[in-house]
Amino acid sequence: MFEAGVREYREIYWTPGYPPRQTDVLAAFRLIPQPGVAPEEAAAAVAAESSTATWTTVWTDRLTTLERYQARVYDLEPVPGRENQYLAYIAYPLDLFEEGSVTSMMASITGNVFGFKAIRALRLEDLRIPVAYVKTFQGPPNGIQVERDKLNKYGRPLLGATLKPKLGLSARNYGRACFELLRGGLDFTKDDENITSQPFMRWGDRFEFVMEAVRKAEQETGERKGHYLNVTAPDCEQMLERAEFAMQLGSPIIMHDYLVGGFAAHTTLSKWCRRNGMLLHVHRALHAVVDRQKDHGIHFRVLAKWLRLAGGDHLHTGTVVGKLEGDREATIGVVDLLREDFVPADRRRGIYFDQEWASLPAVLPAASGGIHVWHMPALVEIFGDDSVLQFGGGSAGHPQGSRAGATANRVALEACVQARNEGRDLAAEGPQILKQAASRSPELTDALDTWREIRFDFEAVDTPDVMPA
Amino acid sequence: MKLETFSYLPQLSAEQLAQQVRSILGRRLLVGIEFSSAPDPHDHYWTMWKLPLFDTDDPAAVLTELDACRQANPGAYIKINGYDAARQGQVVSFVACQPGRDA
Repeated sequence: MFEAGVREYREIYWTPGYPPRQTDVLAAFRLIPQPGVAPEEAAAAVAAESSTATWTTVWTDRLTTLERYQARVYDLEPVPGRENQYLAYIAYPLDLFEEGSVTSMMASITGNVFGFKAIRALRLEDLRIPVAYVKTFQGPPNGIQVERDKLNKYGRPLLGATLKPKLGLSARNYGRACFELLRGGLDFTKDDENITSQPFMRWGDRFEFVMEAVRKAEQETGERKGHYLNVTAPDCEQMLERAEFAMQLGSPIIMHDYLVGGFAAHTTLSKWCRRNGMLLHVHRALHAVVDRQKDHGIHFRVLAKWLRLAGGDHLHTGTVVGKLEGDREATIGVVDLLREDFVPADRRRGIYFDQEWASLPAVLPAASGGIHVWHMPALVEIFGDDSVLQFGGGSAGHPQGSRAGATANRVALEACVQARNEGRDLAAEGPQILKQAASRSPELTDALDTWREIRFDFEAVDTPDVMPA
Repeated sequence: MKLETFSYLPQLSAEQLAQQVRSILGRRLLVGIEFSSAPDPHDHYWTMWKLPLFDTDDPAAVLTELDACRQANPGAYIKINGYDAARQGQVVSFVACQPGRDA
């Protein structure tokens, strides 16, 4: 028989001690219930509404085996030092999700529950994607090793720069700015995220002038060069049209803004890149709207995991030392999730679950935003070789212009790599290493003089909670 | 002409070269030597100087081979590679000898 009415969520969805299966998707939520709502009931509501339940029993519940499809809260712990705040661990059976679909995961796990009245605030801290699910995704179109092999660049971080001013240059002047940076020693230049196709510079004109700059810089230097041509567009047809034209012009790399464009568009583009041997640089505009507040939203580590599944060869991660938000340990945790094949749970880095990637290609973290030559030793130490370090203002702001700024950064980078390989301690000897290198490089000397005093010392808004052992 | 890693630094001295080789060996990478008379950024296959030095842990042995390669190929560009078998790819590569840029 069917008993109509409302049951407490916890009767069904609160199952402490349930041993998660290897194939379950696991989620760690930071949860603040409304006053008067028991944490078990609030957590159970999250599990229920993100899987099988609605607010009332319905007769059609009897037509299926809900135990097979229901999500379960299998653990709940208070966050130390925070009143009425909990970490809820929820296991989702794999059948709840469509194969190879980040949008399916998003709609289920980060759907209605975030607006649930019984919950004051909710944040998805981490997600364990089981290997069985990972294997349904293509992942990065190339991966780090293939990118290095294609571009003949080994044993050092890659160098890039975003063109400034962000907006307002004509296509021809924009190409000039690229040319100067690339011939000065950068590997890549980059469209800023808000460059798409405006009246002052239409995308086709930009692509043509920029690719002339790329070709000419390759001829002049003898090194591979590239420009992240932004193909983020009003619709998927135009996105693909821009990608096709970039390929036709011989560009090795294009760029997409994955959160703005959305995961469906992004996944389409990523698969196109795999088919066409194109590198894909990924920008993350919008992320701070979603991930910055500690109590509500989605942590960037989850957005980064989703990107690795959907596919991208570079992803912006923050710099630790530059102008943009990002706690050091949490940022390193994200970098590991992008690059490593296995990442163990580590609460100091805000990583709640072991994550196996099952040989899914790796993503190069891109550090960008308010960094300059004085940061180079720290960046090389923090990010290591497999990274892209992007100096926009820190190149074009050089007193002798973009070419000299680029050279200063390249000299500083190579000096740091050389010193590190010789066993020197970059954290302790950084300034000395830079000054030594500057004695043979007037470009570096001027750069060191220009940016000496610029620092961005602010407390991070979002930091991991360290749990007692 | 610039040839990737370390090409923006002054030519490495013999001792600096040895230190870089020591670092490659210290990471348990396979060392290989390749040369070319006409480097091109789109060219992935320089000529191998013998096989990679599979069982070497001595930087001096690598530098001896580098020298032998240079003697046999005057005027060639010669690079030292560090190969990671687990990753199935090079992780280090730099030009150690370049015409007109001797230490």
